[in-house]
Amino acid sequence: MQNLDYFFIIQAWPLFLKGLWVTLYLTFWANVAGLIGGALLALCTTGPYRLLSAPAKLYIEFFRCTPALVQIVWFFFCVPILFDVFWSPIFMGVVILGMNLSAFNAEAFRAAIQTIPRAHVDAAVALGLTPFERTAYVIMPQALRYAIPVLITNGIGLFQQTSLVALVGVDELMYNGRLISTSTYRPIETYTFLVLFYLAVSIPIGRLAAFIEARSDRALKA
Amino acid sequence: MDNLDFSVVWKFRDALAWGLMMSLLLSGICSLAGTVLGFFIALCQQSRFRAVRWAAALYVEVLRGAPTLITLFWVFFCLPIILGVEINAFWSSIIALTLYMGAITSESFRSSLKSIGQDQYDACNALGLAPATRTFYVIAPQALIRAIPNILSNVISLFKESTLVSAVGMVELMYTAQSISNITARPIEILTAVALIYFVIGYGFSWVVSSVELRIRARVQS
Amino acid sequence: MTVLQPFVWGRSMADHFLKIRGLEKSYAMGVIKVLNGLDLTMTSKDRLVVIGPSGGGKSTLLRCIMGLENIAAGAIDINGEPYIGADNGATRIDRRIQKQIGMVFQSYTLFPHLNVLKNLTLAPVRSRGVPRSVAEDRAREIMRRFGLDQKLTAYPSELSGGQKQRVAIARALMLDPKLMLFDEVTSALDPELVSEVIAMIIELADGGMPMMIVTHDMWFARRIATRVVFCAGGTIAEDAPPEEFFARPTSQRARDFINNVLHANAEPA
Repeated sequence: MQNLDYFFIIQAWPLFLKGLWVTLYLTFWANVAGLIGGALLALCTTGPYRLLSAPAKLYIEFFRCTPALVQIVWFFFCVPILFDVFWSPIFMGVVILGMNLSAFNAEAFRAAIQTIPRAHVDAAVALGLTPFERTAYVIMPQALRYAIPVLITNGIGLFQQTSLVALVGVDELMYNGRLISTSTYRPIETYTFLVLFYLAVSIPIGRLAAFIEARSDRALKA
Repeated sequence: MDNLDFSVVWKFRDALAWGLMMSLLLSGICSLAGTVLGFFIALCQQSRFRAVRWAAALYVEVLRGAPTLITLFWVFFCLPIILGVEINAFWSSIIALTLYMGAITSESFRSSLKSIGQDQYDACNALGLAPATRTFYVIAPQALIRAIPNILSNVISLFKESTLVSAVGMVELMYTAQSISNITARPIEILTAVALIYFVIGYGFSWVVSSVELRIRARVQS
Repeated sequence: MTVLQPFVWGRSMADHFLKIRGLEKSYAMGVIKVLNGLDLTMTSKDRLVVIGPSGGGKSTLLRCIMGLENIAAGAIDINGEPYIGADNGATRIDRRIQKQIGMVFQSYTLFPHLNVLKNLTLAPVRSRGVPRSVAEDRAREIMRRFGLDQKLTAYPSELSGGQKQRVAIARALMLDPKLMLFDEVTSALDPELVSEVIAMIIELADGGMPMMIVTHDMWFARRIATRVVFCAGGTIAEDAPPEEFFARPTSQRARDFINNVLHANAEPA
């Protein structure tokens, strides 16, 4: 066993930070896309129009039931050929990760919408609210509260999934970590440090989700 | 993109079938080993000794907080150095996926234990059952039954995560697909076919899980 | 491990069957007092019905007698022997006596993963060392006596609420209890299923089983009680035979309670 040497980390620091920046960038924008996409998909699946709900359900099932790596590899290899577009790898990463997250968030929203008591919808109808008003003022605000812990959990999941785009050459944290590991021949230090980077982001946010869940459990008991 | 030729998929059917078999084998072995490990971790989390509880909690936090890809790289690159033994791609994959399955499954066991109501404990105490009898004959069997749907959906997650092991050169379906795409320069046909294979298996299994869940839910109501 | 000698009931005077002195119980670190120096005596001929407002301590009283709660102060004696006592914050329980008390809960509490026969035989076989064949014979006998012998191999999820509660009572009877505690056993049931459970309890009462019952069903209370105890504010506010209690309650709280209850649900014929 070689001597552990964490000194080299100081030299590798800029590369780590740059990777972390790209990882956080991917996480943020994919989450934005995933929240919007998820809400839209959930409204499609719970709505009355079959023309919208059937394709939305197929989309959700497809993205939930196939491995993220397969989606990513397919997207990076096939989309440029099929559609003759050449985007930057980071933008490609945001799009495919956002599409993946949309499917999982849509499920979170759908489950939340279904836990809203039927009586609330009936009450909204009885008050003479239009379908749009019911959705905007009664259903979605409640659904959002139920869904928030799951949405945060999905967001953390996505943060971890960003490491997959390293395998198709996006230079985020994981990719740069491998680079450092191979150029310095110090895999133990590098990968241990990488783990700490990921934990430093995911554990606090996970705690936050648990806290919010416990609090809203109490608030919604009424 | 004008001339798609899906016959290439049929031409490489043997290689793809072999890859699929390895994926299923890997998922199967790691599901079993990981479930046993997860049960053990869940027991450790209930331990009387604080050190044991903390070690188990740390294990779960790290394995769930860091991307599985890092666990895999850590096992593949670092573990051999630390232990001073050769660990090939196959065994690295087995170890990493089992560690991951153990972490998520221990959470399933933990939440199913928590879901057993105080009234079951009251009934046991009113009948004068000793604590060991209570755990062994009343609480543990119910916790196991309730954890089954959750564990089965963990198996699906594991099956999807198993694509990662292609990154350390383990020959399974994803690795095979990427190799064939490179040789034939036909990524669209191969990757689409492989995505469909993953979808059919993942979707079929999740259908089984939800029907099992319905049956169990009917059974565990007292 | 010590072999426990069976505790013999009914050895001393009947009026010392159950004696509770100064029982105190609180939750939330002593902030919420549920039982507040409660005194109560019961003879072996008594069938005590405990009524009173929610939060008045009825269920807690039964749970304390069963030994499910830690008590803050006071003592419970059975046949003049100490059964439960508070001992510098710890609760001391004589397990020999505890094993001869049976309790049935509002929420059935059958073990959902075991069939009816296994539910009945689990405690005798695993904790009292009764041979399995003996326990099973006894289970069949009890189930036949209460008309449930068709359901021996059924799982709890396949039973109606009334059947579940009768099986729960049968499960308690398997241990040959000398005192039965019923905690709101009909409260979770649909109205049409209440009578079969009440009939079973009445049959037990006619067989001479001492029992303590918490219920909101005033008709049932009047039918089965030898004494009615009104429990409010963590103490016994009134204690009288049923005819007297329902006709002329002496305390104002009991009067208000009875008026409210009798006006809320019209009395069955």
